[in-house]
Amino acid sequence: MIELMNVKKVFNAGNPSEFSALNSVNLNIAGNKVTVLKGPSGSGKTTLLSIVGCMSRPSAGRVKLNGREITSLPERFLTDIRRKTFGFIFQQPNLIKGISVLDNVMLPAYPLGEKRSQLKMKAMKGLAELNIADKSASKVEWLSGGEAQRASIVRALINDPYIIIADEPTAHLDTKLSYRFMEIIEKFKSEGKTVIITSHDPLVYESSIVDHVVKLRDGQIEGKQA
Amino acid sequence: MILHPTVIANLLAAYIAGGMVLYAVFYGVQILKHWDIQNGHELQLVLERRTYLISTLLSYVFGLQLLSLFLYIFTADNLTPLFVGAMCAAGTLNVDSFGYPTLVLKIFNFILAGLWLVLNYVDNQGYDYPLIKKKYLLLAFVAPVIIVETILESAYFLDMEADVITSCCGSLFSSERVTGLGSEIASLPARPMMWVFYSAMACTLLCGIFFYFNNLGGYLYALLSLLMFFISLVSIVSFISLYIYELPTHHCPFCIIMEEYNYIGYLLYILLFGAVVSGLGVGALIPFRQVESLQAMLSGFIRKLALASVILYAAFTTLVTYEIVTSSLVISYEVVY
Repeated sequence: MIELMNVKKVFNAGNPSEFSALNSVNLNIAGNKVTVLKGPSGSGKTTLLSIVGCMSRPSAGRVKLNGREITSLPERFLTDIRRKTFGFIFQQPNLIKGISVLDNVMLPAYPLGEKRSQLKMKAMKGLAELNIADKSASKVEWLSGGEAQRASIVRALINDPYIIIADEPTAHLDTKLSYRFMEIIEKFKSEGKTVIITSHDPLVYESSIVDHVVKLRDGQIEGKQA
Repeated sequence: MILHPTVIANLLAAYIAGGMVLYAVFYGVQILKHWDIQNGHELQLVLERRTYLISTLLSYVFGLQLLSLFLYIFTADNLTPLFVGAMCAAGTLNVDSFGYPTLVLKIFNFILAGLWLVLNYVDNQGYDYPLIKKKYLLLAFVAPVIIVETILESAYFLDMEADVITSCCGSLFSSERVTGLGSEIASLPARPMMWVFYSAMACTLLCGIFFYFNNLGGYLYALLSLLMFFISLVSIVSFISLYIYELPTHHCPFCIIMEEYNYIGYLLYILLFGAVVSGLGVGALIPFRQVESLQAMLSGFIRKLALASVILYAAFTTLVTYEIVTSSLVISYEVVY
């Protein structure tokens, strides 16, 4: 489904502070599976995830999504792919303060021009599935950590993406909430979605629902894919 | 040199455009030499990122290039009181030997810049940069012409001396003079020229409408629109100006941009230049209709360009006809001025 070929990412190229975050990474990520990118801090997990999710471009190499080369695409096409293909769950919930949970959830769908009534229905259904429908009118600053995380998950799903990308999703969650998060991931998997997670949390990469674990160190893949 | 705000604005615009085009052409040549979309090497990815900057920059530069033609004419008109003998831009452009060559190059570059903008717009619609080499090839051709224009324009303004006695438009575009392109055009008989203008315009518009509805004859329309552009310019000198001035002997194509004539010249020229650029754009894009990444949009866009060109030519003709009909001037068959 996602194929990375000789992907390199260099920051501050040509400067004394030049840093090579990824070095010739070749990787195949299977569809409808849960893949975890595991590795210590600075190993290149987030960089790799941002390239796969079309949030940044590699310095060299190509990425194919369903056989279509995407790294050379002009920005407006990448935006479209990002919007319709990927749902992003970040380490921090990154919700916008001052507006309600419902508005936060609906926000990524506005550029697609869907009718507000239908969008609201879809958002409410998503919030209900993660048991936070009663918080829909609340401002996000009133939410607990777990509720904020779930709101960000509903937001990631609002455009019905078929690939979910989660960057260190359990970093700020306690054990109970982390298990709850993995249950949600299992549900995504059962719905046929592809999930890519970066984590160095054993609770995540040792979970039975994870199909592949990719070990990263110093910007390279260690050994063979598990 | 005469230090006048409009002169400074012209020179600044020319140097900015020249500098930016030189910068762009440097990367354009690299793109022409090394571009390979199948390749994932570092240079290719650098070029992919760089082309965003270059094409965005050039869009503004060529937009400025389009405006600079009118700024140049406006400046020439504005400086008229400074030169003995000058009555309008025609006289100012004649104060040294660089004025008219610069104008000709500006007109030429206006059309080329317009075509580049059309190509760039279409290229940006494709996911695989389908026209990238073509547009940079065009840039490689346009860049030297823009640089020559910048040099000539600099020479024109820098050579300007306030004590020069120049010719007025009545002399430069007179049917009584025996030499000079302006006089030769001015001496064309008005009535037959009017027939040529309206017949050619009718053919052009019909061809454009036929192409719009049937998608056939695009190249012919592009050719006709270019031909019509020249016929219209000649017609302005030959007979349109006579009706606007209501004088059977005044053929100047520059006085029509003056306040006395409600700046109607600007409108006429904008319509004319818009029409020729969109008309030529039709011919420039037809070869790429089969490009896979453009198939969904290109035919529709070419038809829209043809329609825009037809509308602009029709508006030009309507305006000209209005001026003729409402003019007090009557040109008889017997007397040819």
